Amino acid sequence: MFSQNGLSLDQAPPISVVFRFFLSGALFGMVAGGLVLWYGVDIFDATSVGAVTLTHTLTLGVMLSFMFAALFQMLPVIAGVTLTTPVQKANWVQYPLVTGVLALLIAFNQSDGTLLFGIASLLLGGSILSIGVVMLSRLLRLQHHSASSRGMLMALGALMVVVLLALYLTATLTGLGSGSHYLLLKEAHYSFGLFGWVALLIISISFQVIEMFYVTPSYPSLVSRYLPMALVGILGLSTLLSLVVPWIWQVSNPLLALLLGGYALLTLKRLTERKRPLTDATVWFWRIGLGSLLLSMLTRLAFGWGADPIVGQMSYLFFTSFALSIVFAMFYKIVPFLTWFHLNSQGYFTAPMMHEVIHPKTAKQHLVIYLATMGSFLLALWIDGFIMVAGLLTILLFGWIGYQVIHAWQLYKKTQATGEKFDMQMGATV
Amino acid sequence: MGELRKIVLDARELEHPKPLELAMQALRALDRESYLYMIHRKNPIPLLDLAKEQGFTLLSQEDSDAVWHILISKDPSVELHEYLDV
Repeated sequence: MFSQNGLSLDQAPPISVVFRFFLSGALFGMVAGGLVLWYGVDIFDATSVGAVTLTHTLTLGVMLSFMFAALFQMLPVIAGVTLTTPVQKANWVQYPLVTGVLALLIAFNQSDGTLLFGIASLLLGGSILSIGVVMLSRLLRLQHHSASSRGMLMALGALMVVVLLALYLTATLTGLGSGSHYLLLKEAHYSFGLFGWVALLIISISFQVIEMFYVTPSYPSLVSRYLPMALVGILGLSTLLSLVVPWIWQVSNPLLALLLGGYALLTLKRLTERKRPLTDATVWFWRIGLGSLLLSMLTRLAFGWGADPIVGQMSYLFFTSFALSIVFAMFYKIVPFLTWFHLNSQGYFTAPMMHEVIHPKTAKQHLVIYLATMGSFLLALWIDGFIMVAGLLTILLFGWIGYQVIHAWQLYKKTQATGEKFDMQMGATV
Repeated sequence: MGELRKIVLDARELEHPKPLELAMQALRALDRESYLYMIHRKNPIPLLDLAKEQGFTLLSQEDSDAVWHILISKDPSVELHEYLDV
């Protein structure tokens, strides 16, 4: 869909591959809402079981599902990497991912989760590492890289590191490892996860889609070329050095915050330089996401310099808002386009227009729910009662997404079943 | 054969995926006496694929200002080069 020139018919992944990951991400999002209701404000204590469970529901269940949807869709077109047998590969990933996440979430909540940690490690480690290796090897074979493909390569590399570090952590929890570096590598695990994987993947994709979707000037080559390298370089060096210099993260965290904050400011500026400044919900999702990234980095800096713990909690909340907001922006671009594109490529004259798949007003309503959800979480930092509102709104937020996926899929199948095919050469339906 | 009617679509400032959607609408309205002349900031591979698959004749060329000129006709005998404004 989003390569320099667009999606070629030969490379388009089956629509079901992309939709199914969006759907499982939405279902895990609803589970996350349920967990918020269950644990209450305990989720704001980073060391609590509730916080760890919710974090992994969001990062693995929601974000990884959405990001696999994006990768299956975009790798062929942004990087020209064709994944053979995409349905089979999606099966390899999705079933172990879903069961592995469930096993992990239950393991976190058991006093002795040894067996479940082992099962989760096998399922998650096996599935993510194997698809990651396939995607990485295809990317490494590319003769010519764009800033986006190079960034995606590094983000996938970071994902591999996240998984390997996670396996070390679960090996410790199951008693298989001594865990002598447990705390240090735990910091590396979430830093690589949040900044090397989530943030870098979004950044890499933005190098291409901000210009293409919103007709803005392109990013300066200094940024698109060196920002991904700088992020991964800082993360890699910090992880290695932390084994001998444990305080290294106190130096690298501000550096990461400055780089990511600078990226957010630059992209916000790019969005003010659009040739046709029409504003739809996706533009607002980008603006809110980038604003959240900036606030997350500022609060992270403030917390590192000794601010109140509540500032640290805000930093995580804003980072979550960054990631989800951008994912929703992409969702509202991808789902209508794919539905329309696949039906048109199959020659259906009666294919719904993109605005009929998901109406722009529907996306705007979702934006309002999203803002209310994030506002409730923020208020819950001071007024406990708001956590219940936040939990219910989270269920609604992701239920909405799930409904849009099912609705688009039903439209797609209905058009295939009853739609008229059009032979444009003949100018008639056939 | 008489002059073909030119249907112009300037998509240079349209946000993705509007150019593709409008171009597909225009293709469906084409007859053998008309052709689509699209101007775009990119070479629109999806449109070219879709048009090619439907048996249209097409021409896609970039000018010195990095603007793409895409010409599409229903009539395979049309020499689209002759209609190129580059």
